[in-house]
Amino acid sequence: MIGSPDLVPFTMEEGYEEPFHGASGLPEEYTVPLFPFSQANSSPWSRLCAAKFSRDFILISEFSEQVGPQPLLTIPDDQRICGEFDLNYFSLRIMSVDYQASFVGHPPGSSYPKLNFVEDSKVVLGDSKEGAFAYVHHLTLYDLEARGFVRPFCMAYISMDEEKIMRQFLELSSDFSKASKCLKTGNRKAFANELEKKLRDLDYTRTVLQREMEEQMKADDKGFYTTQTIDKANELASVEKSIIEHQDLLKQIQLYPYRKIKEPDFQPYEPESLQDSDVPNESEQPLPPSNPEESLVEEESSLYHPRSSYTPKFIKAKSSKCFDKKLKTLEELVDIYFFTQTIDLLTSIEKRYRGDLSYLLMKQLEKGLLEQQTVSNFLFEDIATWDAKLSSMHCSNTLALVQALQNPTFLEEPGNLKNSASLESYKSSVESVPIKIEQEVFEEGNHQETAERGVSDIPDNCEFNDVDFKGSVSSSDSIEVLRTEKSVALLTHSESQPCLRLSPQPPRRKVGSRRTISEDSIEVLSTCPSESVIPEDFRPAYQIAIHEEDPDGVDVDGEQPCNSTNNEENEPSPNDLSGDPACCMGAETLLAQTGNVTPVPNDGDINKVVSVPPQSYRNMDHAFQVKFSVDRAENHSNKVSPHGLSSPEAESTYLMSSGESVRLSIEEYSDSTSYRSSTSTCSDRTPSPAPCVSGLSERHRRKAGQNALMFIRQYPFSHPAIYSLLCGRTLIVLGEEEAFVRRLVTALSIFVPNHGHVAKPVNTWMTSPLHIMDFQKWKLIGLQRGGSPSSTNILHSLNRYSRYASVLDADHKTLRCPVYKGAFLQRLADHRTQIRRGSTYYMHVQSMLTQLSAKAFLFTFCHHAHLPIREKESEESIAQRRAAFLRQLLGLSEEDSKIVEYLSELLKMHYLRESGTQLLPVLRFDYIPNFLYKI
Amino acid sequence: MANLCPPPSPAVAKTLISIDGYSPLLAATFAYWDNILGPRVRHIWSPKSDHVLLSDGEITFLANHTLNGEILRNAESGAIDVKFFVLSEKGVIIVSLIFDGNWNGDRSTYGLSIILPQSELAFYLPLHKVCVARLTHIIRKGRIWMHKGQSITHMLTGEVIPIMELLSSIKSHGVPEEIDITSTVLNDDDIGDSCHGDFLINAISSHMQTCGCSVVVGSSAEKVNKMVRTLCLFLSPTERKCSRLCRSESSFQYESGLFVQGLLKDATGSFVLPFRQVMYAPYPTTHIDVDIFTVKQMPPCHEHTYNQRRYMRAELGALWKATSDEEIGMDSVIHSDETFTPNLNIFQDILHRDTFVKNFLDQVFQLKPNLSLRSTFLAQFLLVLHRKALTLIKYIEDDTQKGKKPFKSLRSLKTDLDLAAEGDLYIIMALAEKIKPGLHSFIFGSSFHTSMQERDVLMTF
Repeated sequence: MIGSPDLVPFTMEEGYEEPFHGASGLPEEYTVPLFPFSQANSSPWSRLCAAKFSRDFILISEFSEQVGPQPLLTIPDDQRICGEFDLNYFSLRIMSVDYQASFVGHPPGSSYPKLNFVEDSKVVLGDSKEGAFAYVHHLTLYDLEARGFVRPFCMAYISMDEEKIMRQFLELSSDFSKASKCLKTGNRKAFANELEKKLRDLDYTRTVLQREMEEQMKADDKGFYTTQTIDKANELASVEKSIIEHQDLLKQIQLYPYRKIKEPDFQPYEPESLQDSDVPNESEQPLPPSNPEESLVEEESSLYHPRSSYTPKFIKAKSSKCFDKKLKTLEELVDIYFFTQTIDLLTSIEKRYRGDLSYLLMKQLEKGLLEQQTVSNFLFEDIATWDAKLSSMHCSNTLALVQALQNPTFLEEPGNLKNSASLESYKSSVESVPIKIEQEVFEEGNHQETAERGVSDIPDNCEFNDVDFKGSVSSSDSIEVLRTEKSVALLTHSESQPCLRLSPQPPRRKVGSRRTISEDSIEVLSTCPSESVIPEDFRPAYQIAIHEEDPDGVDVDGEQPCNSTNNEENEPSPNDLSGDPACCMGAETLLAQTGNVTPVPNDGDINKVVSVPPQSYRNMDHAFQVKFSVDRAENHSNKVSPHGLSSPEAESTYLMSSGESVRLSIEEYSDSTSYRSSTSTCSDRTPSPAPCVSGLSERHRRKAGQNALMFIRQYPFSHPAIYSLLCGRTLIVLGEEEAFVRRLVTALSIFVPNHGHVAKPVNTWMTSPLHIMDFQKWKLIGLQRGGSPSSTNILHSLNRYSRYASVLDADHKTLRCPVYKGAFLQRLADHRTQIRRGSTYYMHVQSMLTQLSAKAFLFTFCHHAHLPIREKESEESIAQRRAAFLRQLLGLSEEDSKIVEYLSELLKMHYLRESGTQLLPVLRFDYIPNFLYKI
Repeated sequence: MANLCPPPSPAVAKTLISIDGYSPLLAATFAYWDNILGPRVRHIWSPKSDHVLLSDGEITFLANHTLNGEILRNAESGAIDVKFFVLSEKGVIIVSLIFDGNWNGDRSTYGLSIILPQSELAFYLPLHKVCVARLTHIIRKGRIWMHKGQSITHMLTGEVIPIMELLSSIKSHGVPEEIDITSTVLNDDDIGDSCHGDFLINAISSHMQTCGCSVVVGSSAEKVNKMVRTLCLFLSPTERKCSRLCRSESSFQYESGLFVQGLLKDATGSFVLPFRQVMYAPYPTTHIDVDIFTVKQMPPCHEHTYNQRRYMRAELGALWKATSDEEIGMDSVIHSDETFTPNLNIFQDILHRDTFVKNFLDQVFQLKPNLSLRSTFLAQFLLVLHRKALTLIKYIEDDTQKGKKPFKSLRSLKTDLDLAAEGDLYIIMALAEKIKPGLHSFIFGSSFHTSMQERDVLMTF
C-alpha cells in the first residue's frame, strides 16, 4: 500500500466511533482539550493573552537578607506594562531557585574569609496560571556589609510566550551574560573601593588606638595595665586582624581577572568591537593592548586604585545590629557608571526581543538565507538585514559602548575628560554629555558604508534631542558622543533598597536610553561608486549623447494624446558598447559611458528615502560627518524633516492631493490608525512586527508600503510607472509641492533596484535643472516645479531629457512612460488587493521582488542561455535561445523579460565589481515609445 | 511522640540502562514534594557507563532542587509545567516537568527531570520540544495510574529509555547543521539522474506541505540518506539538528517528533511504523519509499491535530477505565477499548499539486552543478517561501484583527499573495504553521470540525 506493511493490519473501514463528549468519565484535569481553539475568540494570537502584563519586560530582583525576595526595578520603567502583575509574588518565585550555594566565610583550613566567585545560573520557569514565563539569570554581587559578603540578585526576562524564551534561549543567555558581566565588573570595582576605604578607616583607627594606648601606658606607671588599657589592646588586636582580613579580601578581588583568564572557557569582552564603536577615537586614546586578556587584566586592575580624596574615619568597636543597618541599593553596590551601562544594555535587550516570536524567528531565518546569496541580495535588500557585522552594530550598540568604555582609559575619569576637552570638546548643556565637534576630511573609502546608513536609515526607536539635532544639522558639524560618564550625575539615587521605580521617566533613564542607541548615528557622506573613472576620458561621449537627442517638443507640463509615440525608437547608437555575449541588454539599448562631469549641487537629499547620492558631488570642504545620539524615531521624523512623513492619515490623504482624499476612509489605509485601534486589545500585547534593527527602519518600511499601497489604488497607471523603475528607466516625479512629491517618491522607492551595496538611487527632491549625469546617478527623482526663475531651467532641462525618462506629473496626474503589458505587476501591484496595511504590502512586495531577483539570478548564471552550445553558433541564435529561456522556462512576457534582463545586468555588474574588475559607469537609454496616461 | 518523628527516608531506587554508544543524558530522576521532608527523589535512571560523571548524591541533590520553590506552585488544574536549568557551577542542564498528582488520596507535587552535561546545551535545545512533548504525554498517563494508587516508575521507564536512545542516536547519526549540496539529489546533472523527476517533485512538495516532517524508508542506507539530506536542505538549521540519518547496519526505531528520519527496511522489505507514535508527532508526516518511489502524506495540520487529540483522549480514557496491569500494556490499550476504532488509513496520496517546487526543480537543474550556484538559488527559493509565509501570517493577522474575527477571505488571500495553486497555499501554510502554531486550526479548523460533527451525527442513525 504505502511501502509500510505494518500499517495494513491497522487499516479498518470504520471511522471514529467515539462521540465528541468524553464517554470514559475521565476527569478534565487528566485529559487534553479536543480542539485547540474551541473557545470563542481563541486563536494563535490569543493564547498569549492570559497574562496580566501587556508585553515582555525585564525585572531585576534581589533576595534581601532583611526582607526576602523583592523586585527592584523593571525595564521599561513603565507601570502600564506590568499592569496588575504581582511583581512581589513573581520575585519570590524566581528567587526561590537558588543554585549558588557557594561557600562564603571561613572555610575549613583557612583563617580568613574567602570570596567565592560563583558562576551565574540560568533558569527558565513559569507560572502557568498567571501566564507568565521567565528567563532568569541569577548572579551574586559582593557587599562588605552583607552576610557572607554576598547579595544574590537576578535579572529576569518575563514574557507570556514560553516558546519565545526557549527558542531564543541561547541568544537571551548570551545577552544577559554580557549584562551580568558588566554589572559584576562594576560591583568588583565598587567592592574594591569599599575595601580600600575600610582599610584606610581601619588603618586610621589602628593609629588612633595605638596613640591612645601609648598615652594610657605612659599614664599608667603602676607596673600593671588597667582594664581600659587591656580593652584598648584587645580592640587594637581586633582591628589588626580585621586589617589582615580586609587586605586578603582586597587581594582576592584584585586577583579575580588573573584568576579568570586562566580558565579555559574564559571569554573577555570582545575588544574588537571597541574599535568598531564610534566612541573611542584612535587619536585621542592610547592603543589597546594587543592581547585582549592583558587588556582585561589591566582594565580590572585599574579599577582598584585607591582614591586619594577620601578622609578616613574612626571605626567604633561595636558594629550596628543586622537589622539596624541599611543595605546598599543596587546603584550603590555597583559602580554607577557600570550600573548605567548595564541598564542601557538591558534596555537594548528588551527592545531587541520585543514583539511576536514569528517575526523574530523569521528575521533570523532571513538573515541566514540572505547571507548565502551575496551575489544577488543587494538588489532589493537592505544590507543591514543580512550583514552580520552591520546588524550586530545596530543591535548591540550599547554593548559596544559598554565594551569600549571598559577600556582603562575610560575609567580614569579626570584624564579622559582632559583629553577630550582638549580636542574641541564641550559639555552639552542639557545632560553634561561631552561632545566632540569633528570636521572630517572627505574620504572616498568611507563612501559605501556611510551611504548605506544614511539619513533615511534611522531606526524606529530613535529620538533626537531637539536642540542638538537642529544644531548639528544646520551647522553640518560632526557631533559624536564620546563619553558619557559624567551624565550619571543625573542618576536618581533611591533612598531605600526597594527601589522599584514607578515614576514615568527618571532622568537617568533618559540619559541611559539616549546613549543606548547612540550608535544609530547619522552619517552623511558623499559616495563615488567608481574611483577608476577619469572624467576627461568620458566627457565627449556625453556630449555626443546629448547632442544626438533632440527634445521631442513635448512640454511635460502640457498634455499629449495617449498614443503618441517616439519615432526614434530602436535607433542604434554609434556609441553602443554592448559587446559582451553574456550581457543581456536588448538591441535597442544604448550604452553610453559616463564621465565625472561637474557635480550638481543638491540641497534636497536629506530625506527619508535616499540618503546620499552614489557619487560625490558635495564640496569637499563641507563634507562633514554627522553623528549624534538618538532616542526615538517618533520625534525624529518630525524634527529631521519638517516635510517628512508625518501622521499616516495626513500623508495618505496627501497622496490623493487636495479634495480627492476625503473619499478614502482613514481606517482603510492607515497603518497607524489600525495599529492604534488594536492596541487596546489584548492581541496587541505582542506587538508585531518586531522592531527592526536593520538600517531601514520598520516605521519607514511601513510608511513606504502604505504610500505604495495608496499609489497603486489611486493611480490606474501604477503598473507602467513601476515597470519603468524595475526595468531601469529613470522615473521623474514632477510636482510643485515638495511634501507631496516626497511622498510619491517614498511610495515608489520600494520598487527601485539597488545598484550595489550603496544607497538606493533615489533623489526625493531636486530643485536644480536635470543634468545628464543625474540619469546615471538616480533612477527615481522628485523634481520641483516652481514659480521661481530657476524652475524655467528645470522644466527646460526636463523637456530636453524627457524622451529618456518616464515622467510622472504629480500635479496634473499624468504619466509619460513606455507601456506595460506583462503579468508580473498584476500580481505585485494589484489595485484590487485586499491587503490592508502598508507593512503587509511591503512584505508582499519584498517577497515578490525576491522572486524576481531569483529569476534574474537564474537567467544570469545559466550558462547555456548565454554561451554557444555548439561551434560557430551565431549571436542571433544565442539571443533566440535566451528569449526562449525567459519566455518558456521562466514564463515571462516581453516586458517582464526586460525587467529580468535589467536586473541580470545589475547582477553582472555587481558580480564583476565584487570580483575586482574595474567597471566604467554606464548610462543607459532605451529608445522606446512613451505613452501618456491620465486619470 | 512517635507520630512527630519524620517517616524513614525511602531508599532511592535506581535503574541502570544499557545504551549503545555515547549517551548525552547523564540521568533522569523522578522526585516529589514530601509534605514533611520537602523534596525527595524516588527514582533515578542513568546509563550504564564506566565513567560516572555524576554521583548518585549529586543527582539526588540536583533532583531535589528541581522542586525548589514549588511549594509556591500556582498552576492550573492538570498543568504540566516545564523548568529548564543551566547550572554552570555544576556543569549541567536540567529539564524538569513539574506536575501535581494524586497518589493514594494525597495530593502532591512531582518532578520528572532529565540531566545532561552543559556542554550538550546546543545539541539539546533543538530537541527540547520533542523531549518535553514525549515526557508530557507519559506524565498524563502516569497521573491517571497514580490516581489508581499504582506505582508509575515502570511506566516512566518506558519513555525514559527511548528518550535516552533517541538522544544517543541523534548524537551518532544526526544530520549536520550545514549540508553539503553535493551529497544530495540537487547535485545531479539532471533531474532524473538519481530518481524519477516526478517522484522528486512529489517528495519535496509533500515534505514541505507536511511542515518538513518526513520519514524516508528504503533498503539501501545510501539511497535513504541521500534523500534525507536532500529533504533537509529545505529545513532550517535548527530543524536539521532535529533530523536523523539512517543507520546502515540495522534500522533505528521510528521516533516521534523528528523532522526527517531515515529508516532501513528489514530483510522482508518492510518497516513497521508504530501508529501511535506517528499520530503523536507534532506535525503530519510524509512517507517516502525510495525503493518503489512512492510518496504518501498525512492530512494537513488541522486534521492531524484533531486526529491526534482524539487519539490521545481515547488512550487516556481507556487507561482510566483499565482495571489491571495487563490492560495498560503500552500498545494494547487502545485496542482493548471497544468504543475506539481509529481510522488507520492516515497516509494518503498527495492531494494538492503545487507550482513552487515544480518550478524550482525545473529551474535549479539549469544551473551548473558543483558550483555554489544551486545553493544560492535554493537559498533564494527558501527566502521567497519564508517571506510569503510571514506575509500570509500578517495578512491573516490584519484581516482578523489578530484572531478576534473569523477569517473568511481565503479566496482574496490566494489572489493577493499569488497562491492560486492549492499546493502552493499548503506549502506556505505549513511554513507559517511552524512559526505561528495553530494557524491551520484557526483558518480551516472550524469548517473541518463542523463536517466531522455532522459525520458523527449521521453515523449515529
